[in-house]
Amino acid sequence: MASCWDVLSEPLRVLTPDEAQLVAAIAERIFPATDTPGAVEAGAITYIDWALAGDYQALLPLYREGLQEIERLAQARFGRQFARLSEAEQDAVLIELEGDGQGQGRRGSDEGFFQVIRRHVLEGIFGEPRYGGNRDLIGWNLVGFGGQQFGYEDPYINRTVDLPARADD
Amino acid sequence: MTEDIADVCLIGVGAVGGILAKQLASAGLKVVGFERGPQPQIEDYAPRDSIKFTVRQHQLDWVKDDPITFRTAPTQAAALRYTTSPLNLLGGALLHWTGQASRFFPADFKVYSNEVARGLVERAGADLDGYDVVDWPLSYDDLEPHYERFEWEFGVSGRSGISPFEAPRQRGYPLPPLRRSARMEVFAKACQRLGYHPFDSPSGILSQPYRPPEPYDTRMPARPACVYCGHCNWYGCHVHAKAATLYTAIPVALATGNFDLRTRCKVTRIETGNDGQASGVSYIDAEGQADTQQARVVIVAAFVFENVRLLLLSGLANSSGMLGKCILGHGDVKAVGTFDDFVINGFIGPGSAAMRVDDFNSNNFDHTGLGFIRGGTIGTSGGGAPVERIDVAPPGMRRWGKEFKDYFLRAYSRTFELNMQAETLPHPDNTVDLDSDRRDRWGLPLPRVTFTFHENERRLQRFLAGIGEGIMRETGAETVWTELPKPAPNRWAGGTRMGSDPARSVVNEYCQAHDVPNLFVVGSSVFPTMGGYPPTATISALAYRTAEHIIQQREWFR
Repeated sequence: MASCWDVLSEPLRVLTPDEAQLVAAIAERIFPATDTPGAVEAGAITYIDWALAGDYQALLPLYREGLQEIERLAQARFGRQFARLSEAEQDAVLIELEGDGQGQGRRGSDEGFFQVIRRHVLEGIFGEPRYGGNRDLIGWNLVGFGGQQFGYEDPYINRTVDLPARADD
Repeated sequence: MTEDIADVCLIGVGAVGGILAKQLASAGLKVVGFERGPQPQIEDYAPRDSIKFTVRQHQLDWVKDDPITFRTAPTQAAALRYTTSPLNLLGGALLHWTGQASRFFPADFKVYSNEVARGLVERAGADLDGYDVVDWPLSYDDLEPHYERFEWEFGVSGRSGISPFEAPRQRGYPLPPLRRSARMEVFAKACQRLGYHPFDSPSGILSQPYRPPEPYDTRMPARPACVYCGHCNWYGCHVHAKAATLYTAIPVALATGNFDLRTRCKVTRIETGNDGQASGVSYIDAEGQADTQQARVVIVAAFVFENVRLLLLSGLANSSGMLGKCILGHGDVKAVGTFDDFVINGFIGPGSAAMRVDDFNSNNFDHTGLGFIRGGTIGTSGGGAPVERIDVAPPGMRRWGKEFKDYFLRAYSRTFELNMQAETLPHPDNTVDLDSDRRDRWGLPLPRVTFTFHENERRLQRFLAGIGEGIMRETGAETVWTELPKPAPNRWAGGTRMGSDPARSVVNEYCQAHDVPNLFVVGSSVFPTMGGYPPTATISALAYRTAEHIIQQREWFR
């Protein structure tokens, strides 16, 4: 896995370097690099860092408790730090953390940490780049989304959009 | 203390408030409009920003200050919820609505006399124990000219004469339907093969540039056609093709010189005189100062929760005991389909560019033995930016990891769903009252909603899920699944029920409080029953009709 330092182009705003590294390890299991970029390369860590320094400030304690819980589970099950586990071991930890918790959706206030970070990772990949994620519009290009186009002409209705994705700022 | 006496104090300047302001001010009445939210500029609402307007919508300036609390039973603790209806800014939720502009069916106004009283409940084998099903005090025919005025003033795109279930209408739509999308085409073909009757859904989004012709209100501004950018539901429209009072009716009202608009002003109480009539309102202005405004007529048009809360806080209009009772909502059922190869591109175009069938809406079908009455519309849906789609995955698939990634990267552009808006019948246990534990930033108790779907809804929802699944399979989608509603409804109504009997309702057919003749309550809160369509066209028609009634009471304003 790429270290997040290889790709973090922005200084951290609120996460500590250790926390960012752990968030990156989790994010790469949620949306792994395959033959296409994963969460870290797509900018999800910067997105989460900026969000926790801003609009999601109130979730910082949930993050810090959740990250500690993940390290505790990693130690308890496999005797090593989460980042040093194999992918299968990391998945086992995350599956245990996820439980059968059904996410309550964006308006719910009672999601567990795993559902929250899962959502944030995906927001970071697919959100507007001004929030720190979706670096170079990686996320939008991965799914064939045109981004903030002014509009679409008729032929694009049912054929793959071959316009380059567009962001307003 | 403001000394002057206004003709009308209007509380809430949103969808219906915008229409009321335009109609009343144009008739020469002096209207003071109180809007608790801001007056947004285009740069506040039109950026096509999916983080701001969807995933972080509860932090928007016009959402974050007015949460409700919600529980499904009185035995539960009510949890804080942020809602996007109402939208607390000038023009209200029409700024970000999907645009579904359908009229109700004639039968939707007479569920009691057409279905309950004629034995259709027994024939269906339905269980309406505990419900309080009543007729509206008005009929479809009473609203028909007002529906037409809404459609022609705001520019509804659609085609009449296609659906065999279409309600009678004097005039067609002012504009042809919106451009068809891939999901509309596959849906229409599947429905035709199944013997259903698909048609282009009427939409409050302009398919062509438009300005209302005579005899409608030609002062309404000309607006351009939709550009199909797809940032529609939850977003303000960056070209103003979407019907919203913010940039149509409200500027017309202001131009009369008779409309005194006060944004960021929160009405905290409706005041009454010694005669028991409404005398005006108390409010907190943008600077946090308390003030009052006297008026001859007071209109509450601030959506379900606030309409009920304000009347409860003011101790008004509840001699029937019905205030806050029989809250209604649609329990939306979904049938989702993913194609392996066929590209849908659901992110292009507005959500209300839709095909639908009404074969299972209202009382349009034979309910014999089905176990429920009523129905819901079935239409294509499923747009949105990628962040809005991250929870769309087949049941049983872990929503993270390589399998999810592989699925999502391919399925995002190849998935759509059918949205089925299952009607909810009135039940007295579904209520809005005052939360004794939580207060808003003005110090007022939050509206507390207690709501659950009862047996008729649950049976109807399961039935519609089966119909939707059948249609979706017929489209040829490779992966199909259905989703039953979440506990909280998708659209709200009820709480200040209209009726002809003052002992069983809060307002009369003119939205006029039985207890307080110069107090009006307008919006979906007056619905006695809900129908299987969104409320927008109907609340707009009610606003025109109520305005006409108020204007006719010349003696009030001498």
